[in-house]
Order: sequence, then structure tokens, then C-alpha cells
Amino acid sequence: MNDFSDIESKLRKLRPVQPSADLRTRIERALAEETSTRLRSATARQASTAGVLPRERRFHFNWLSLGLGLAAATALVLFAFLRLEGPAQKRSSLAAITPAPAFSTNSNAQFIPAGLTQVVYHTRDEGLHFNRNSDQPMRRLRSHTRETLQWRNPTTGASLRISYPSEEVSLVPVTGQ
Amino acid sequence: MENVATDENWKTCFSQLAPGLLLFARQWARSSADAEDIVQEAFVRFWRKQHDIANRGLLYATVRSIALDFLRRDSRRARRESAAVSESDQMVQPMFEVEDESQRALVAALDLLPNEQREVLVMKIWNELTFAEIASALEISQNTAASRYRYALAALKKNLPSV
Repeated sequence: MNDFSDIESKLRKLRPVQPSADLRTRIERALAEETSTRLRSATARQASTAGVLPRERRFHFNWLSLGLGLAAATALVLFAFLRLEGPAQKRSSLAAITPAPAFSTNSNAQFIPAGLTQVVYHTRDEGLHFNRNSDQPMRRLRSHTRETLQWRNPTTGASLRISYPSEEVSLVPVTGQ
Repeated sequence: MENVATDENWKTCFSQLAPGLLLFARQWARSSADAEDIVQEAFVRFWRKQHDIANRGLLYATVRSIALDFLRRDSRRARRESAAVSESDQMVQPMFEVEDESQRALVAALDLLPNEQREVLVMKIWNELTFAEIASALEISQNTAASRYRYALAALKKNLPSV
């Protein structure tokens, strides 16, 4: 850098043009306005505004949303538990519109099964089929249904219902004429 | 250095920094008035955000950012007025207080430098920023800042044989 020391010293002797007095005044005014704006907004925040001025934004914890969210999560967990626990029982009660069972004697139970509805909305005859194990021909019927499961909490009266489509293939033995 | 945000006597800061800031802003502004607008906005923005005035890299980065925004906003007008302003404005509104012919030649040689070299030179010589601060303001490495500085000095030396 020593090679450039002479030119550096010459450059340093060059004096930049001074800012105008007007600039100083303008900045002073702008800063003053900024200060007054800040003070006004701070005062407005402190004052009771009755909705006329924007109120300070605060973080509000929404307990209602939290409660609803927790309730929904609980219901989902319960539903998943019931589905995992008793698929065999569910199959046994298919094809029936079951009345609501009596309330559980266990008062601690939150949700108890309240009903199962199976609506067959389309059936298709897929013709005769011959099984390997049987000499008799079978008629294959494909049914499209919608099953609706319902649970109810007797304590709170809350109910949970889930509905899903299902497809079922049944083989009906063909009797001889 | 004091913090602009808490400094009641901000005029002291202004007196110390304004000439260098103005010169820095002139790299992009076509007139002193535009450069002053840029410096004003930078000062107010710096104050508003309560930055530490000791962080000079950030201050110059603010000036540069505002200047580039200004340049973009003003590009349409700049295209309309380009030739006339660039020539007459330089004459009417010089960037330096020139005392003699050698200084005039030096200023003319400065004008010939590429922008990227001149801005480093301005920050180093007239604003006394370190290469670290320059690198921070320009978002380049310190080595690049130092190289540009050396290239600028070499170019000046080449263009001014008497130096």
C-alpha cells in the first residue's frame, strides 16, 4: 500500500462539498415529526379509544379454540381406538339399522356406540361364477353401500358420527330349477 | 460514536458524517439535491429503526439501498434528462471543493473510475471506513473491497502521471 501513499494523501486533501444548511433543517424537521408521530401513537395506545383509534394489538390466547381443538382430538383418538379394538363386532352388526343401544352402565365412559346404518344404494349382478370348491354355480352380486357409525356421550349429549362408502361382493348359491 | 436514536444532539453526528454520506450518495444521484434527499431519508430511517450509529456499515448500506431505490424510481426521468443533467450538473454542483488545478485533475480522474471502485474509494478515504465495514455495506468480501481500493488507486496513479 506504500506505493499509493502519495495519492492517498492527495485524495484526503480533497474536501467533499458540505451539505446545505437546508438539509440540516429538513432532517431536523423530519426527526421532530417522527418523534411527534411516535408520541401521538404511544398516547393513542394508552388512551381509551372506544374503538375510534386502532387498539394495540395483543396476543390473545383463545381458550375456546383450544377447548374445541382438544375435544376434536379426543374424539378422533377415541374413534381410532374403537376402530382398532372391534372390527369383528362391527362386521357382525352389518346390514342392519340398529337402534340406539341402551346407555352404558359405566358412567365414566365418554362415548358409547349409538348406532350403525348401512344403506345399499347400488347393487350389480355380475353373473354366474363357478368356484373351484363347489360344483354349484354361484351368482356374484356387488353392492355399493354407505355405512354410518355413530357414538354418543350420554353425559354431555355430544355425538360423533362418521360415514364412509364401502363395497361388498357376495356369492349367492344358485338353486336348481 | 453515539446512537442516533437516543442522541438529542444529533447535529454532532450529522456534522461528522454528512459530508462523507453526501459524497457517497452522489455516486448514484445526479445532483446534490437528490443526494441530500437520499441522505435525509437514510438518516431518518436510521433514527426510526434506532440503529447504533457505530454500525457504520449498516448506515452506508442504508444510504446505498435508498440511493438505488431512488435511482430506480427516477429512471424514467433520468432517461429523459440524461445528457443535459450529467454534464451541466457536474459543473454546477461539484462533489469536492477544488482549490487548484491538480485537485481538479484528480477529481476528473476520479470521475473516470468504475463505480464499484469509486464507491470503495469514497468509503475508505472520505468516510474512513475499514475494509470490514465496506465489505459489510456492499455485501462483498473484505478481500474484494481491498482489491477494488487498490485497483482504484492504481488507476488514479496511472491517469495522473505527475503523482
